[in-house]
Amino acid sequence: MHRRRVEEAIFKGLMIASITIVAGSLLSIVAILAWKGLPALNIAMVTQTPKGGYYLGKEGGILNAIVGSLYLATGATVLAFIISLMVALFLQREYIGKTRFAGLVRLSLDILWGIPSIVYGAFGFAIMLYMGIRASLLGGIIVLTLLEIPILTRALDEVVRMIPKDLKEASYALGTTRLETSFKVVARQALPGIITAVLLAFGRGIGDAASILFTAGYTDRIPTSLFDPVASLPLAIFFQLGTPFPEVQARAYASAVILLVIILSISIVSRLLTKRLARNTVK
Amino acid sequence: MNSACIDIRNLNVFYDGHTALKNISLSIPHRQITAIIGPSGCGKTTLLRSINRLIDFSDGVKVSGEILVDGQNILGPKADVTSLRKKIGLISQKPSPLPMSVYDNVAYGPRIHGMRDKKELDKTVRNCLETAGLWEELKDRLRTSATKLSVGQQQRLCLARSLAVKPEILLCDEPTSALDPVSSQNIENKLAELKKYYTIVIVTHNIHQAMRLADYVVHLYLGELVEYGPANEVFQKPKEDRTRAYINGTAFKELEIDSQINLKGKVCPLNFVFAKEALETRCREEWKPTARR
Repeated sequence: MHRRRVEEAIFKGLMIASITIVAGSLLSIVAILAWKGLPALNIAMVTQTPKGGYYLGKEGGILNAIVGSLYLATGATVLAFIISLMVALFLQREYIGKTRFAGLVRLSLDILWGIPSIVYGAFGFAIMLYMGIRASLLGGIIVLTLLEIPILTRALDEVVRMIPKDLKEASYALGTTRLETSFKVVARQALPGIITAVLLAFGRGIGDAASILFTAGYTDRIPTSLFDPVASLPLAIFFQLGTPFPEVQARAYASAVILLVIILSISIVSRLLTKRLARNTVK
Repeated sequence: MNSACIDIRNLNVFYDGHTALKNISLSIPHRQITAIIGPSGCGKTTLLRSINRLIDFSDGVKVSGEILVDGQNILGPKADVTSLRKKIGLISQKPSPLPMSVYDNVAYGPRIHGMRDKKELDKTVRNCLETAGLWEELKDRLRTSATKLSVGQQQRLCLARSLAVKPEILLCDEPTSALDPVSSQNIENKLAELKKYYTIVIVTHNIHQAMRLADYVVHLYLGELVEYGPANEVFQKPKEDRTRAYINGTAFKELEIDSQINLKGKVCPLNFVFAKEALETRCREEWKPTARR
């Protein structure tokens, strides 16, 4: 009896320690960013593009990177969502079911998920060289799309697989096609999960630096066409932190704060949205 | 016997090599209630799901034979499954309201089949809810989520939803087993009323329910058709010993197995395999009266 109580106490202790590490790391990230970044954060940072001497610590902002990151991540997430939703719906039992092919698709996605983003970048760069395209918004969006597809597809696949069989059959029994059931019942019931999955992919897309280093390039201007190079927040942080000037380094932390705020606000908005949209779903 | 509505000929169903239904041939009469009875895992649900081809979605399933609905072989390669399913409504064991409002649940089918006119939809929804006995309860709550209703109301909503696509046949898979006695009574009364307009096939665990409702009875045992005929004949003068045993309450096997390996809720093929194994091992053992609850 005594041994079991000790066991219980030890594991409870371990759990609390783990939770402290998780919560603590989030808190310390926010704290360090705030401490280092907030003093450098000003209105010009988010309303202006870099002026001539920006990287020497003079006037200007990183509007180019903010807009660029939003363009890149939004474009990639929209494209990846369209493709991933189709794949996830196709992986349902009514389409390819538990065939070996379905298993192969899932395995490939898992492998793709594990590939480091710099490899995606190198791959995209090689293709772009071959096709004679230079670093551009389009190139960045395509590589980020490739990066997001495995995450999004596997997440959507799990969400779609959680849909109760009875629910789908209730729809089929009324004489609906697989497509109608997929979009009118499955997608609707899965909506909260779909939003979470999209958010996950968006977060990965907006936060990734390595894949767009060669494919999207970097520029001080806001792109006006898909074929212009584009700046991004992760690369802005990378370049600013790499300068020898403390003022510019502080701006790197300020940029990180901006990135964090973007991700947090999208996360909060989508959570509110999920609550509203999920009011009809079967629990 | 009235003209047959569903004609089943030499139907065989296999799940991954296990035979779930062996050479079933029977005719289900027009606008009557036909009850399929038998212990768990004997293929009742499989038979029902073959009629609207929901069985297509089970893994590793093979079907042979013919099922004629209105003279058309629905198992044939040319069968139009969606229009077949429109013709055949399904009430499942556990009510599954779609993730939308009460109104949209009922309007779902008609909308898919092309009804756009708001007034026409309103009328259909109202008619169907009235037929299912829900209109008075829900007429002011048409916009609330269907998932907020009680289970009994949900089951009647599922009935209304099935009726909304104007089926000719209603398949009911233990429609009252998840419901309280009052809600069960409600559903039973509705089915008895509806047989004037629909051919109804009901799978039931409950012999008494079959006695109350059925005009015809199909007794299945381990995938075989034991007996089939008008309800009064089957219940009063069963030709087969196995049917007599089942009606006289040797159904203990079923209750016992159900309580031990909670069969329903499992996927159908497994359900069948487990039940068959359990029955085969248990039947050899001497039955002790104490085992019966």
